[in-house]
Amino acid sequence: MSDATPSGEWSRSAEERRRYNLISGLVFTVLGGILLISSFMLQSPVPLIVQASIIVFVAVCIAISFGLLPVLNPQDVFGSLGLILLGLTAFIASNELPGMRGFAFGPGTAPRLFAIAMIALSLIVLVGGFLTAGPEVTKYQVRGMFFIIGAILAFAASIRPLGLVIASFATIVICAAAADDVKWRETLVVAVVITAFCSILFPYGLNLPFQLWPRFW
Amino acid sequence: MYDLINHLWLGMSVAAQPSYVLMCLVGALVGTLIGVLPGIGSLATIAMLLPITFGLPPVGALIMLAGIYYGAQYGGSTTSILVNIPGESSSVVTCLDGHEMAKNGRAGPALAIAAIGSFFAGCVATVLVAALGAPLTSVALMFGPAEYFSLMVLGLIFAVVLAKGSVIKALAIVLMGLLLSMIGSDLETGAERMTWGIPEMSDGIGFVVVGMGVFGFGEILRNLENTGTREIVQGKITGLMPTLPDLKAAAGAIGRGTLLGSALGILPGGGTIIASFAAYTLEKRLSKHPERFGRGTIEGVAAPESANNAASQTAFIPLLTLGIPPNPVMALMVGAMTIHGIVPGPQVMTKQPELFWGMIASMWIGNLMLIIINLPLVGVWVRLLRVPYRHLFPMIVVFCSIGIYSVNNAPFDVSMTAIFGIIGYWMSKHDFEPAPMILGYVLGPLMEENLRRAMLIARGDATVFFTRPISAVLLGISAVLLILAVLPSIRGKRDEVFVGDD
Repeated sequence: MSDATPSGEWSRSAEERRRYNLISGLVFTVLGGILLISSFMLQSPVPLIVQASIIVFVAVCIAISFGLLPVLNPQDVFGSLGLILLGLTAFIASNELPGMRGFAFGPGTAPRLFAIAMIALSLIVLVGGFLTAGPEVTKYQVRGMFFIIGAILAFAASIRPLGLVIASFATIVICAAAADDVKWRETLVVAVVITAFCSILFPYGLNLPFQLWPRFW
Repeated sequence: MYDLINHLWLGMSVAAQPSYVLMCLVGALVGTLIGVLPGIGSLATIAMLLPITFGLPPVGALIMLAGIYYGAQYGGSTTSILVNIPGESSSVVTCLDGHEMAKNGRAGPALAIAAIGSFFAGCVATVLVAALGAPLTSVALMFGPAEYFSLMVLGLIFAVVLAKGSVIKALAIVLMGLLLSMIGSDLETGAERMTWGIPEMSDGIGFVVVGMGVFGFGEILRNLENTGTREIVQGKITGLMPTLPDLKAAAGAIGRGTLLGSALGILPGGGTIIASFAAYTLEKRLSKHPERFGRGTIEGVAAPESANNAASQTAFIPLLTLGIPPNPVMALMVGAMTIHGIVPGPQVMTKQPELFWGMIASMWIGNLMLIIINLPLVGVWVRLLRVPYRHLFPMIVVFCSIGIYSVNNAPFDVSMTAIFGIIGYWMSKHDFEPAPMILGYVLGPLMEENLRRAMLIARGDATVFFTRPISAVLLGISAVLLILAVLPSIRGKRDEVFVGDD
């Protein structure tokens, strides 16, 4: 569906672009900083090259935040930064795992191998994003994200203690707030109907072990 | 030949049991129900509906899944024709002529010919799967770890080459999938890998969690952005059956689409998309009136729909014989099979013949179901399409949440899915295709295992992948494909395929 999103109709002014680069760059700076700090707190020492890479990563992010590097293709630049961060995180996460033992792979070999390959490819994308112009990152649907993710997390938190009926009703109501054109009266009707439907379908129709009501009932 | 009939008979005797027919019917029905929702492709549909099959016995679960798969495919076509919103890339082409037909008041024949074409393609492809299954299985037995690894590399490269946009980005995203699949216990040593000490992660992140997060929730977040115009064909749909001239015009297109689709579906990596585009282009080239394409010609619906369905069925061949999913949908199937304790591959056919042939026969039954349920139910789907999106997505979210929770009764899984929903949304914002990632995610453990084994057997000599002939050929094809995809002249053509003829 990505081709249906209007990328051309919506574009940022220079000021907005700067602000977007600043915020996104700082987010990655903070994440990289956390990774760097955690790399010092591991039991076995992290190879110097990994720590150096994280420092370079943070430096690049700071440079992007303050406009020292030309972000010509924001999608590629920030996308590849995300993947590089993930790859570096994998290095920290698999630091304790033994690598090659003779010619046999250890548990840590494959993760590091794939992480290096991913970082290498992302670097190509990153450099390309500094050199050639490309589409901007379209605006995030913050309201939608907040309420939908909130609804899912609310379900996760409430399903055990409160049971299926309350959890699904709450999830539907929270989730409905994500739409710009929410109509509360209709939503409540939908919520009641769907909750009733779920409470019959899953425990009885599909025979799944669900608790319907709160535990103290 | 005798064997073939024997096998199909065995399959039929399994799949035609009333309880299995019922499961297939239910699968096709709910598959269409979800697949018909605008913007929800077959991948998202299967991801969402997977949990409901977990309580069933393995054969029943797989038959139901097959039903869901075809239902989802057909539901996508219905939406393309009636609303002009393709649920997935493979039904983009159906939109071109299908929606034009619907606007001309011929939605009925368009839907009917889509069903008939799919059914015909399904019949041919079923026989093809049955016929090619046995010989390919014997090929699979010659494969050692090095060959398996190279074959998976080829599959991933195909997925990369056929993905939209940058090849390098698609490769990086495949590696991200591979990397994520390493989370959890190491198969050989049992060491916990990248779990951050979280006990729920020691089993790895369930592929349902990743699939439903990235495709299900990610898709909902994306869809919230374009709540704008949705032009549903108004008025009653009358005259469901195509006329005799319609059928005559479509017959050739259905035949050619089926052949093309069957051949392309076997290839690893997103065969259905290419199949429907290729079939449409072929018809346009062959037609005496190419100018009619895009204005509502029946061949323009019949060809891609048959090709699409044939391809989605022959895609089972590499999965069932070699154990390698050729596309993300099949990757979800692998996940479903593993949950039921079935490791897809050549041994399934010899050790569990009733499962193997039952599933193949159920494909045919599934196709028959679609004709039976969809034609009379078109009115219901139309009404469903009129439900505003603001009411649909809360329902989908709550169903998905319950579904994920029911897999392991783990609230942790639900929260994890929310995180993957954000990741999926973030990926689409940065023009990363999620499909190669899920393929990498599912193939990851298999690939690592075979890589380690091959290296161990070769005593650490990495050249083994190039000195063993089959493996070398497979890697050679991968390299050629990759080079072709990166070359600018081919890139232009490849983009053309995805843009279509509009």
